[in-house]
Amino acid sequence: MPGSPTIWDDLTLILPLIVLWITSFVLLLGDVVVWKKNRDLNPILAIVGTLIALGIAVYQTISLTGDKAFARSLNMDALAQVSMIALLVTGLLAILLAWTYLKNRGLERGEYYPLMLLSVSGAALMGAANDLIVLFIGLEILSFALYVMAGFSRSDIRSEEASIKYFLLGAFASAFLLYGIALVYGATQTTQLSELASRVHSAQTPMLVAGIGLLIVGLGFKAAVIPFHQWTPDVYEGAPTSVTAYMAGAAKIAAFVAMLRVFDSLAPVSSVWLGAIQALAVLTMVFGNLLAIAQTNVKRMLAYSSIAHAGYLMVAIATLAHRLDGPRGAQAGELAMTGSLFYLFAYTFMTLGAFGVLIYLSNRGKDYQQIEDLRGLVRHDPRTAYAMLFFMLSLGGIPPTMGFMGKWQIFYAALSGGEIMLAIVMALTSVMAAFYYLKIVYVMCFEEPREAAPAPAQFSFGASLSVLLSAAATILFGIMPGLLYTLTGLVR
Amino acid sequence: MLGVPTEYFLVLSGILFTIGVIGVLIKRNPIVIFMCIELMLNAVNLTFIALGRHFVHVNGQMYVIFVMAVAAAEVAIGLGIIVALFRSKETINIDEVNLMKY
Repeated sequence: MPGSPTIWDDLTLILPLIVLWITSFVLLLGDVVVWKKNRDLNPILAIVGTLIALGIAVYQTISLTGDKAFARSLNMDALAQVSMIALLVTGLLAILLAWTYLKNRGLERGEYYPLMLLSVSGAALMGAANDLIVLFIGLEILSFALYVMAGFSRSDIRSEEASIKYFLLGAFASAFLLYGIALVYGATQTTQLSELASRVHSAQTPMLVAGIGLLIVGLGFKAAVIPFHQWTPDVYEGAPTSVTAYMAGAAKIAAFVAMLRVFDSLAPVSSVWLGAIQALAVLTMVFGNLLAIAQTNVKRMLAYSSIAHAGYLMVAIATLAHRLDGPRGAQAGELAMTGSLFYLFAYTFMTLGAFGVLIYLSNRGKDYQQIEDLRGLVRHDPRTAYAMLFFMLSLGGIPPTMGFMGKWQIFYAALSGGEIMLAIVMALTSVMAAFYYLKIVYVMCFEEPREAAPAPAQFSFGASLSVLLSAAATILFGIMPGLLYTLTGLVR
Repeated sequence: MLGVPTEYFLVLSGILFTIGVIGVLIKRNPIVIFMCIELMLNAVNLTFIALGRHFVHVNGQMYVIFVMAVAAAEVAIGLGIIVALFRSKETINIDEVNLMKY
């Protein structure tokens, strides 16, 4: 049949994912059979595979070849493409971070990078899903790999504990998500998001309401929204730092892109879910920031900070509810969409950067986890301290960093969409957040080191490059956000 | 349609799902918790099949195959994690696996 898409058209659209799958299988087999001893080949090949996938994704985004694929179960539109770019960049930075970190700890087992690439592909599937079942499968591919990676340090009981907690709670939450999908299917007779948008309005039954509620629980868990956040601090603390860094970025991007998609197509029945999302947003922003203040462990603090950032992104989701309320609402919805993508880029750069600094320092031999460990860092390692300073300022949303630009866009979208109350809470809690981010800056810069300068960090090419790239992006896109707007602006 | 009305299936699967949720919340052995999660997934499978029959869609029944595949993968990973935990801790009681708090 001329004109209708063939299987090859569909496969071309997911070419970046295919590259990731091939790379991970080559790595898995190659590590066992071909290059048994040369462990440096693993990260190098993983980086090459990710770069090829990234190149294809960027090309497809620029040429805007995106379309529905695989019997309309995937929607490779700009949102899918841009989120795929964000995920591949996250993967790339995370591979660089893991390189020396794993080697120093004897964790250089061959399955690490394949797992990471497979989870990137799952996250990208989530971002591209046009069908709730595909979304569920993408989420499971992402999660399964993360469960294993969280427990990657098998000799470390904390890592095992993180893994089992993450696994049990994650599986529990995905059962809720699945039940939500089933009920939405029961209410509307479809699981396709594009179909759903046209059907939900005439299907407002208790079944639909229950289904949407369960979807919020399932997705809220992945996105670490209070009160579904209990796993976050433990898993972030227990997992090897290189895994935490990757997980923080990738899981957040995937969960929120999926949420954007789902709630975008549920906008016709926004009265059903808007109240719940608003309440979750407020809870998450307030308690995420409050709990972060009390932490003494940097990884745990960053976990609560990631929860707080999820709260800011929930504001964008709430703004999406006004998409159909006239031209003003439509504009606000558009701003929320582009703003949250910008924010996700910002979040991944600054969080991977902050964890990257911890990883870089940990290459000295001892694990840098406590805030105390950073005391007086500027005296014996000024460059690393300045990098950390930038990430903390950016996480705190202080101009002219990328974190500020992201927060500003969501704030502006919320204001123009009429979510005044959420915008105010967002501004107030951001001030609260500055307290704990600046505490780290204070400890690093103005307190005396407790002990004599430790041995200088063993130079690790990967970690330095990753931190450098993150810092450069944080500052560059903070001063010239227009460069990234050209990408995020495609999502309309 | 002849046979058992769809509502009966939906109510039954709702009950099964709730039993699963309660089990997850009160049990202390990860393997039992895991069984309860499987119960929840199978409750959803029942919902899908019942709805598929009700709408005369083949989709509803196809989803069950997907869910079963996912659940099987979950079993492999879950048991792997539990074995790894048992090797380093000699116990799998959830209350004793609690180094990290607040």
